[in-house]
Amino acid sequence: MMNTGCLRLTAPAASRRAFLQAGSLGFLGLTLQDLLRAADAKPLRGKAQSCILLWLEGGPSQMDTWDPKPTSAFKAISTNVAGLQISELLPQMARRMDKVAVIRSMHTRGNDHPQGTHYAITGHEPNPAMHFPSLGSIVAKEVGPRGAMPPHVLVPQWERSRQYEEYFRSGFLGADYDPMAIPDPSAKGFEVADLMLPKTVAEPAVHSRQEMLKLVDARYRRLHEGAEHARMDGFTAQAWKMLLNPRTRDAFDLSREPDKLKDRYGRDAIGQSALLARRLVEAGTRFVTAAGYHANSWDTHARNDEGHRDRLCPTLDRTLAALLDDLSERGLLDSTIVLAMGEFGRTPFVNPDLGRDHWPNCWSLVVAGGGIQGGQVIGASDAQGANVISRATSMGDLFATIYKAFGVDWTKEYRTPIGRPVKIANGLGDATGQPIAGLLL
Amino acid sequence: MSARWRWSVGLAAALCLGADPVALRIEPSARTLRGAGAMQQYLAIAVDADGAERDVTGGVQWKLSGSPGAEFAGAGLLKARQNGEVRLTAALGSRTAQATARLEGIDQQRPFSFAQDIGRVLTRSGCNNSTCHGGVKGRGGFQLSSGALHPKDDYEWIVKGGEYQVLTTEVKGERIPRIDLKQPAQSLLLRKPAGQTPHGGGVRFKTDSEEYRALLNWVSQGAPYGAADDKQVTVTRLEVFPKTLTLERGGSHRLLVTAHFADGRTEDFTRSAVYASNDKEVAAVDDDGIVKATRLGETAVLVRAAGGVTSATVGVVGKALPDFPRLTKANFVDELVFDKLRRFRIPPSPVSSDAEFVRRVCLDLTGTLPPPARVREFVASTDPAKRSRLIDTLMDSPEFVDFWTWRFDDVFRVAVFSNGIQPKWSQMYGEWIRQSIASHKPYDQMARERLTAQGYDGPSRHYLPYDVIGPPGETMAEEVRVFFGRRLDCAQCHNHPYESWSQDQFWGMAAFFGRLFKMGDQGNEYVIFDHPRNQAMGNGDVDGGIALNHPRTKAELKPTLLDGREIVAADGENPRKALAEWMVTQPYFAEAAVNRLWSYFFGRGLVDPVDDFRSTNPPTHPELLERLAREFRDRKHDLRHILRLIVESRTYQLSGVPTAANRDDRTNYSHTPARPLDAEVLLDAISSVTGVAETFRTGVSEAAARTSGQAPAGTRAIALREPDLFYSRFLELYGRPNRLTLPERNLSANLGQALHMLAGNVYNEKLSAPQGRLMKLVQAGRSNREIVDEFYLAAFARLPERDEADGLEAMIARGPDRLAALKDFVWAVLCSREFAENH
Repeated sequence: MMNTGCLRLTAPAASRRAFLQAGSLGFLGLTLQDLLRAADAKPLRGKAQSCILLWLEGGPSQMDTWDPKPTSAFKAISTNVAGLQISELLPQMARRMDKVAVIRSMHTRGNDHPQGTHYAITGHEPNPAMHFPSLGSIVAKEVGPRGAMPPHVLVPQWERSRQYEEYFRSGFLGADYDPMAIPDPSAKGFEVADLMLPKTVAEPAVHSRQEMLKLVDARYRRLHEGAEHARMDGFTAQAWKMLLNPRTRDAFDLSREPDKLKDRYGRDAIGQSALLARRLVEAGTRFVTAAGYHANSWDTHARNDEGHRDRLCPTLDRTLAALLDDLSERGLLDSTIVLAMGEFGRTPFVNPDLGRDHWPNCWSLVVAGGGIQGGQVIGASDAQGANVISRATSMGDLFATIYKAFGVDWTKEYRTPIGRPVKIANGLGDATGQPIAGLLL
Repeated sequence: MSARWRWSVGLAAALCLGADPVALRIEPSARTLRGAGAMQQYLAIAVDADGAERDVTGGVQWKLSGSPGAEFAGAGLLKARQNGEVRLTAALGSRTAQATARLEGIDQQRPFSFAQDIGRVLTRSGCNNSTCHGGVKGRGGFQLSSGALHPKDDYEWIVKGGEYQVLTTEVKGERIPRIDLKQPAQSLLLRKPAGQTPHGGGVRFKTDSEEYRALLNWVSQGAPYGAADDKQVTVTRLEVFPKTLTLERGGSHRLLVTAHFADGRTEDFTRSAVYASNDKEVAAVDDDGIVKATRLGETAVLVRAAGGVTSATVGVVGKALPDFPRLTKANFVDELVFDKLRRFRIPPSPVSSDAEFVRRVCLDLTGTLPPPARVREFVASTDPAKRSRLIDTLMDSPEFVDFWTWRFDDVFRVAVFSNGIQPKWSQMYGEWIRQSIASHKPYDQMARERLTAQGYDGPSRHYLPYDVIGPPGETMAEEVRVFFGRRLDCAQCHNHPYESWSQDQFWGMAAFFGRLFKMGDQGNEYVIFDHPRNQAMGNGDVDGGIALNHPRTKAELKPTLLDGREIVAADGENPRKALAEWMVTQPYFAEAAVNRLWSYFFGRGLVDPVDDFRSTNPPTHPELLERLAREFRDRKHDLRHILRLIVESRTYQLSGVPTAANRDDRTNYSHTPARPLDAEVLLDAISSVTGVAETFRTGVSEAAARTSGQAPAGTRAIALREPDLFYSRFLELYGRPNRLTLPERNLSANLGQALHMLAGNVYNEKLSAPQGRLMKLVQAGRSNREIVDEFYLAAFARLPERDEADGLEAMIARGPDRLAALKDFVWAVLCSREFAENH
C-alpha cells in the first residue's frame, strides 16, 4: 500500500547506493556575462547580499512550533522578546527570538507535497505547460554572482523524488540560473563532483590537453563559425580557472570547519547542510537551499507529537540557533537572510493515527537577517491555528519582502518565450505581492 | 496623405527605378468600392528580368479614365465620389498597366458599427495593444480585448465599466463607465488619451485629431453599439499583399491589406490596420504599412485589424546573382526550398561529402555513430545509389526503432513521476510506443489510441501522472500541444491574448476529459474509464455525479470541438472517440507532425518552436509545410515516408559548411545547420568512441523498480525509458528533460558542461578502461598514426588531414609518457565541437 497520494517520506529511505558518488545535478549557474559583470559589480541598494533557505520538507505543524495553541499537546514558553511565545519544543530559539520575525498568517495553495512545494518555492500553482523559476533562481538572476562562486546552490540533492528538485530550478530563465545541486555533506566521503581535476591530470597534462584540443578542433572551427562555440570557449576558460584555483573548491570543503562548530550545527544532513550554506554564502553564493530533511520529513500524518518532540523540533532548534549565532559572530547576519519554512502547515485537529495532515490555509514561518527586523510577529491565526485572522500573507508578499531586502524591484514581470507575463512576486488572485510592512529595517 | 508618406514613396521611387522592368502590373487589378468616402490603395508592381517584383507606386504616372466618379488622393490612392466605373492606368517608361474599379453605393453611409469604427480607433491608437489595455489583465483597471478581438466585451467595459477577471464572474471593484453621456467631452475615454487627465500610456491623440473626433461623435450620439452580428460589418478574414516580398537593402514596399466581410464584400484596410515588424533590425514598417529594408535577413511583419491577424514575410536580400547555380532536385522538398533560396538570392552550399553525409544520416536516423569499418566501406563504394541504400539499411535497423521510440518517449512523456512509483506503467506505455514504431503503425492511429485510451492498456497510462487522473484542462491542453502544435493553455484562465481561442472553447475541449475516472484496488492496478452518469461504481468512489463546470459561469460543460460542434456521447460510449476522429482529420494534425519531424533533421521547425503554431508566428516555408502535411495524409500518416522524403532530399544532403554567400542564413537551409547532439546521443557517442559503456543506476527501491537498481549492462542512454528513474549527472548537464512538463530541451552550453569536460568522470574515466578502444589498440601494438586514424573515423567519420595527423603524431611523441599523451588525445577528440555536434 504505497500509493496514498501522499509521499511516505517518513518511511525508511531506500538504500543510498552509489548516489553519493554520482555527484550533483544541476549547473553551476553562471553565464560568462555574469562573470564579466561580477568583476565590476555595483553595490546593491538593499542590505541583503545572500539568502539561506532552511527547507522544512513535509510541512511543520504551526501550533507545535511558532504559533502555540491550546490544540497543541505542548506548552507555550516565553522568549527573550516580551509578549512573544513559541512552543516549548524550541527552547534554544526562545533565547534568540529577538533575531527573527515570525509570520503566523501564511495563506497558500496546494494541499499535497508536489503542489505545495511548487507553490512555496515559485509562488505559482504548477502547470504542465509552464516551468516557473524558483525564488533562488530569480535571486541569482536579479542579484548576479559574486566572485567565481556559483550563485545558486541546493544541498543536499534529492536521492529519490527528483521531481521536487525540478521545482527548485530556473524554468524558462534557462540553465544559467539552475541551482548547483550537491550531495549530502554529512555523508562519509562527501565530495562535490567536477570541482577538482582527476589526480591523473597534473599540470603538464592540462597544458597537453589544451594544445591537443586546439589542434583537433582547428579545422572544424575554421569551417563552422558558431556563436555557441564562443560561449563554450568562455565557459571552458572559466572552468580551467576554477579548477586550477583552490578558492572555489575550498568553499565546499567542510573539513576546514572546527569540530566544535560542526557539533553545534549537528552532525546530520540538516546541520551540515546549514553549515555548508554558511560557508558558501561567506564565499559569495547568493542563494542556498539547505534541504537536510529529505530523510527526516516533517510530514507527520502519524504520531505528530512524537515526531515533533523527538526528531524534528530538536534538530530545527539546534541548527537554526547555531546558524543564527554563527552568522552573527561573523558579522554576516546583517547581509544574509535566513528563511525557515516548509510547503504548508498541518491540521489543527489530530487524525485517528494521532497525526496531523496538510494545511496550506494558515501556517507559520520565521525569517531573519539581511535587514529583517527581528523580535516581531506578523499576522495572527484564530484560537485553533486554523484560519488567518489578521494580515493574510501570500507567498508573493514574502517573496516581495525578500526582493526588497536585496534591492530588487519586486513588481518586475518576466516574459516567457511565448510572451506570457510572469510576476516574480506572485500574490493570491493575480495580485502583485507587496513587501510586508515593518519587516524590513 | 502625410508628408512622411510622400517622402517614403519618393525615396522608394528614387531607389528602385534604376533597371528597366520587363513587365508592369497594378494590384489589385479589379475592385469594387462601396459606401460614402470609400477609398482603395493600388500598387504599381514592376517585374524585373529575374522575376523579382518591386513596388513602383510612387514612381509611375497614374491616370484615370471612364466615368468621372473618382479621383486620386495620393499615389495610387483612389477616392470614390459617385457611382460608376473607372479605369486606372499606370505608366513607367514604355510600360503601362491597367486596373478597374467599380464604384457602388457611394451615396450611402455604411451602418455604424462599434466593432469596426470604434475598434479601429482603439487599435490604431494602440489602446488595445497587448502590452497596454489589451493585456490579459488590462492596465490601470481598464481592459480591452487585444486588437478589438472581442468587441462586445470592449463595449461593456467602456460603457458600463468593470474589469475582466481571471476565473470569476464577479466584477472587481466599482464599475466606472469610461464615457459620460451628459458631458461627452468629459469622458475618460477622451480625457485620458488626449492627455487632459494623467494617463500612464501618455498622449495617444490630440483633441483636433480624427480619432478624437470619432470618439467624441460616438459618445455624443449616445454611444450606440450599432449593427450587432451584422454580416455587413463582420470581418471574417484579413488578407495582405504581398504575402512574401523581397527587398534589397534600402528598398521599400507598401503592404496592401484587404478585409473580407461575412457578406462576401471586401474593403481596403490598408489605413485601418496596425503593423509591427518581428525584427526591426531587418526591416521596419511604418504606420501606413510601408516596409523599409535595413539589414540582410528575414522577418515577419504582423498586420492586425478588426480582431484579426495576418502576416507578410519580408526578405532583405543581397544583390542579384547573375549565375544562380542550377540545382538537382530529388523531390518536392528541394523544389520549394530552392525556389525560396533563388528568390532570396542565397546560393546553397555544394552537396555534402560522403564522410559528412554518413555521420549525419546515421546520427539523425538512428542516434548512433557509424563504426569505422562502415565509414571506410561507404566512402570507398562507387555505387551511385549508395546514399539511398544506406538510408534503406538504417531505416530497417533495430537502432532505428530504438531511436524513434526514444523520440516519441520524449514527446509523449514516458516517465514514472515519483509520487507512488509505478515503473510497470511507464514500461507498458513505453512498450506501446515501441510496438507502434516497430510495426509501422500510422501516426493517426497512434493518436487515436492515445486519445481514446481506456482500461489497462499501454497508452491509458499517460492519463495517470502521479497516479491520479490529471485535471481535464491540463490533459486536453497537452493533447492539443502534442497533436496540433498549438497552445490552448492560455485560454484556460482567459481568452487567448492574441489568438482567437476563447475560454469557452478551452473548457468545451476540456470536457472531453471531464469524466475520466480510475478504479482499482489500493495502489497499482487502476483501470481508466469514462464514468457513467448517476451510477455508483462502488469501492467508495463518488456516485457518478461528477461534472466539469465552467470556472466562470459555473455551467456544466459539454464536450465541444474547437469548431463549436457539441458531441453527445451516450453513457458507456467513449466521448473521446469523436474527438480523436476530428483531431486526426484536421489540417493542424498533419502540419504539427511533419513540422516536428522536420525539426529533428534541421534543428528548427518550419514553424519554430515546433509546438507554437499561431498566426503571429508564421512558417518560414508555408508551401513546404502544406505540401509535407498533404503528403503525410495521402500516405496514410506513414512516419517513415516523411523521414525518407527529408533525408533523400538534396536540401538535407547539402554540405554543412557555409559559403561566403550563405554564411548568414539561419532559416532557409542553404547549408545544413550544425546542431549540438542531444544529451543521450552524445553520451552514447562517447561510450561508442571510447568503447566503454555507461552504467545507469536507479534512484528507487529495488522492490518498486522492475529493473533492480541498475539498468542492464550495456544499456544505451536512449534506451532509458524513465529519465526520472535513472539519474545521470552527464545527462542532466546536457539538457535531458525529465518529462515532468512537455519537454523543451535546452541545448545551449553552460559552465557545468565545461567543468564536467575538464574534471568529470564521463570524460576522464572512460579513457583508461582496460577493455576500451584505446587500450585495445595499444595492446594490439598499433602505431600512434593508426590510433589517431581509428579515433578520427570513430568520432568524426573521416580520416585526419595531413597537417592534423602530423601535428598530433608530433605531440604524442613529444612527451615522456606515450599512454598519457594518447589519453590526452582521446580526451581532446571527445571535447571537440566537431564531435559534440551533428553537421
